[in-house]
Amino acid sequence: MSSDFELKVNVLPVTTYNFLHVNESTIKISDLSLGKRKSTDEAELPSGVSKKSGVSFGEAGKVFGSFSGRINVLADGYAAPNGDTSERDKEQAVRTGMGADVDRLMRDMNVTSDVYTVDEGVKADKPIAISDKYEDGEMALLSYVIHAKKDSEITVILMESSERSAAGLSGISVRLMAEDGAKITLVKTQMLGDGFVHFYDIGGACLEGAGISLVTLELGGCDVHSSAYINLSEDNSAYSSNLAYLARDDHRLDFNYVADQRGKKTEALMDFKGVLMDRAQKTFRGTLDFKSGSSGSVGDEQEDALLLSPDVVNRTMPVILCQEEDVEGRHGATIGQLTEELLFYMMSRGIDEERARRIMVSARLESVARLIPDPDIMQKTIYYIQNIL
Amino acid sequence: MSDTSLLQVQDLSVSIDNELPILHNISLDIKPGETHVLMGPNGAGKSTLGFTLMGNPHYCVTGGKIFFDGEDITDTSADKRAKAGMFLSFQNPYEVPGITLSSFIRNAYHAQTGAPVKLLAFQKSLKAAMQILSMDESYADRDLNVGFSGGEKKKAEILQLLMLNPKLAILDETDSGLDVDAVRTVSKGIEEYQKKKDGALLVITHSTKILESLHVDYTHVLVKGGIVHTGDGALVDEINANGFERFI
Amino acid sequence: MSDNKMAVADINHSLYDFKDIENEQDFYRMEEGLSRETVLKVSEEKNDPDWMREFRLQCLDLYNRIKMPNWGPSIEGLDMDKISSYVRHKSDMKGKWEDVPEDIKNTFEKLGIPQAERESLAGVGAQYDSELVYHNVRDEVAAQGVIYTDLESALRGEYADMIKSHFMKLVPPTDHKFAALHGAVWSGGSFVYVPQNVKVDIPLQSYFRLNAAGAGQFEHTLIIVDEGADLHFIEGCSAPKYNVANLHAGCVELYVSKNARLRYSTIENWSKNMYNLNTKRALVEDGGIMEWVSGSFGSHTSYLYPMTILKGEGSKMEFTGITFAGKGQNLDTGAKVVHQGERTSSVINTKSISKDGGIGTYRSSVIIQSTAKKAKASVSCDSLMLDSISRADTIPGMDIRTNDADVGHEAKIGRISDEAIFYLMSRGISEEDAKAMIVSGFANPVSKELPLEYAVEMNNLIRLEMSGNG
Repeated sequence: MSSDFELKVNVLPVTTYNFLHVNESTIKISDLSLGKRKSTDEAELPSGVSKKSGVSFGEAGKVFGSFSGRINVLADGYAAPNGDTSERDKEQAVRTGMGADVDRLMRDMNVTSDVYTVDEGVKADKPIAISDKYEDGEMALLSYVIHAKKDSEITVILMESSERSAAGLSGISVRLMAEDGAKITLVKTQMLGDGFVHFYDIGGACLEGAGISLVTLELGGCDVHSSAYINLSEDNSAYSSNLAYLARDDHRLDFNYVADQRGKKTEALMDFKGVLMDRAQKTFRGTLDFKSGSSGSVGDEQEDALLLSPDVVNRTMPVILCQEEDVEGRHGATIGQLTEELLFYMMSRGIDEERARRIMVSARLESVARLIPDPDIMQKTIYYIQNIL
Repeated sequence: MSDTSLLQVQDLSVSIDNELPILHNISLDIKPGETHVLMGPNGAGKSTLGFTLMGNPHYCVTGGKIFFDGEDITDTSADKRAKAGMFLSFQNPYEVPGITLSSFIRNAYHAQTGAPVKLLAFQKSLKAAMQILSMDESYADRDLNVGFSGGEKKKAEILQLLMLNPKLAILDETDSGLDVDAVRTVSKGIEEYQKKKDGALLVITHSTKILESLHVDYTHVLVKGGIVHTGDGALVDEINANGFERFI
Repeated sequence: MSDNKMAVADINHSLYDFKDIENEQDFYRMEEGLSRETVLKVSEEKNDPDWMREFRLQCLDLYNRIKMPNWGPSIEGLDMDKISSYVRHKSDMKGKWEDVPEDIKNTFEKLGIPQAERESLAGVGAQYDSELVYHNVRDEVAAQGVIYTDLESALRGEYADMIKSHFMKLVPPTDHKFAALHGAVWSGGSFVYVPQNVKVDIPLQSYFRLNAAGAGQFEHTLIIVDEGADLHFIEGCSAPKYNVANLHAGCVELYVSKNARLRYSTIENWSKNMYNLNTKRALVEDGGIMEWVSGSFGSHTSYLYPMTILKGEGSKMEFTGITFAGKGQNLDTGAKVVHQGERTSSVINTKSISKDGGIGTYRSSVIIQSTAKKAKASVSCDSLMLDSISRADTIPGMDIRTNDADVGHEAKIGRISDEAIFYLMSRGISEEDAKAMIVSGFANPVSKELPLEYAVEMNNLIRLEMSGNG
């Protein structure tokens, strides 16, 4: 099977001026033909966790359907914001950061899902580590569903890597269902070669008291989309995201992260740190959406982009939507160079400028890498960062 | 001193947001000019009592009554209590950007008296009060509590006490977080308030620093939401020496 | 003095919402709708030079081809077939208030314009529906060479070439659909020229009043502040409320030359049936300073994002804005800035308040081009929600194309805390006053940028909105 695709993805939850070119992004894939990649989670699963492979993409999404009366509820009197784009992703089992076109691609290509289910009350004693090492020229689409039942806890780590010079396609969809009191931690470290088109599309739903934490490192690839739409559907649910990226050469990075806060006293904390070099381009979209009924909720989103070359393009689109009085939302962004004072301080201790810069740049990425709960994968990631800088 | 009560609290029980019960069966009787001290360990409910007396809507009276100047004020809103002559000095005064300290006091004064404020006279008395509190005059034109240090915030509270001149001042942990000099300055302000008028005081504190220069008529010990003991001024010294152990 | 701002002045709810008893025969009103014929008729009415007539027709063609915006508030309620694009009183523009027709004069008297002119303005222009009815500038200001006149006479007078080379060059009719519409049917508005190194100490003011129902106002304001000169221009807008939609699609083009400074202040209180689709843009040369102060209180629907192009080295822009969206209002406001020159700097500071189901959206774009080395941009936008049926959305965008720039962005959204209200009430202030006081305090960074009378007017508007009678 072989064909061409053009996906319209990362649609901003509310459209704005067209001249900013942030309302959406496009991925073009030509001659798509999938290999027979099976993800390699060779290690034994933690007890209380089961895995079902070969589930069709649609079938795997049905777990969200069974909770749809709790995930997608809108309070009375809800009014859409100006330029609302939610309509186009309505058919998704759970809304994802990249949106409905990824679902369509997965279905069209008959991609099957691996569905991991964590039994009620089980606190997994170790992470599920999935590692994919790509060959040059390989094309793969992967789909995972993580279903954490009541009061369970699970950590999943994805490592996507290839040789530095390799090219190919790596597309991953991860859908997360956290039932009441469940906690899901999803970690991904991406170290693909300079010719890789990569996308990472997350959709998640939290019921009462549930939590989703994301740790994401986008360090390689030439055309990368990385996005998440997390529904904080019920009271006291929480979402945190820590993301670090490195974009160099002519690479293009495109993000769309959304926290949809509907329950009372929900919490969304998003932190994005990155480095842009050479002629790299990055578009970052981050949205806190306080829907009516989300009283007592807080949301905080911070972006820190370090620009190291005069030829980079950095687009930032930090959105806060709010239809609830009793909430606290904040967004901060700092975009620019390393602070001269800090540089001077390090140089005054005898470190030369070039090295001082390198230390500070890698420190920024490593601070997120250190959140990886698997020592081996963490070391590989840090080694990759130091090697590239 | 007169025989009629200024503040009468009868069998008062309070819970937060209709959920957690905090205070139970509190009774107090404060007459004009008297100084009462409410002491107790952390978490006993001291600040809750202060907020309830002033009418903070977060604290629900689930039983009992509060009378001020003979009027039942149990269900009265905070502004009306202030107009009736009550004042609460906050432990953590709120920052209000965009309104200067002096214009805020002028507004409060106007709201309470209903009389037009004579600008020159007002400025003069504000300046005098600030001098007593060793406050730099520039604070008058700064936004209310915005960027004030802990000490300056407490001074700004006492400044309002002096300018608004209430019949009863409730001071909630006014000495907490202050150094010795600041406590002395604040105490001077409180003495000034007592001097000016037959002003009554209810001093809420868990330490005794601020009480050294005040004449105390009654001391109440609050433990776990109830008044467990009432004595005279000497009780302060005893607690100072031995702590709260014997009341717990 | 904050003192005066806090004082609760007498509020007359009908201050802006009075309809004037018009003798219809005194007014010329163009038929509703938009066609080649209507555009030619406006052109004829205005005795346009040929180039302008051609320009209008080109704009109409663009208008018909450009699509409606695919973002922002809905403008479905606006039916161009029901809007008359030209309404004017049959008498000419006057230079003395006594000569202005009685009915129109009464309107401006009620709005306090003649009095303000006597007391604190260097010059006044007053537009009623589609035409200026009054224009005057103080003798001493005129003696400095300051030109303040209606655009139509300027188009035919000494400054004709200057107008031709600047008119809709900064806001081209291709910019968006309503810029094209403006180009086709514009009428009224002012032309200001401040010669080199002339500093006008007291503000000039234009007041726009749209009195006719179902009409559009399309005034064009063109201001050129020459090298080293300094001007403060104030714009006020109001209209009575009708049950049919009115449209305001004005255009403001501001040229700030080398080392010049222009402050442009607006208090907009259009009635709540108004579609306010206004375009404002400034071009700033080396060392020039552009300052915007903008208060948006009125209108049913607004699209308003004054844009500044910092072309010259070291040029600066400051935008201070407040938007109060009450019942039935969808106000989409903000600012745009493009940094081109080296060491340019911009500061955007906005406050937005939403109440009674109103929708307040802050929308902006900050663009730093690769030529803008050592540019600095900072954005701070705060929103205050007064209940849970309203909306407050923040949609800012940034596009940065050099590493040698320093960009900061901060957005906050929240409510008036119960503690703050209780604190004020404990000092004897009523709940309603406490809320109004906190909202006024929230708005203070904007009101302190305004001349005193306007700050007082703005605080009155806030009180009016807070009491639910806005």
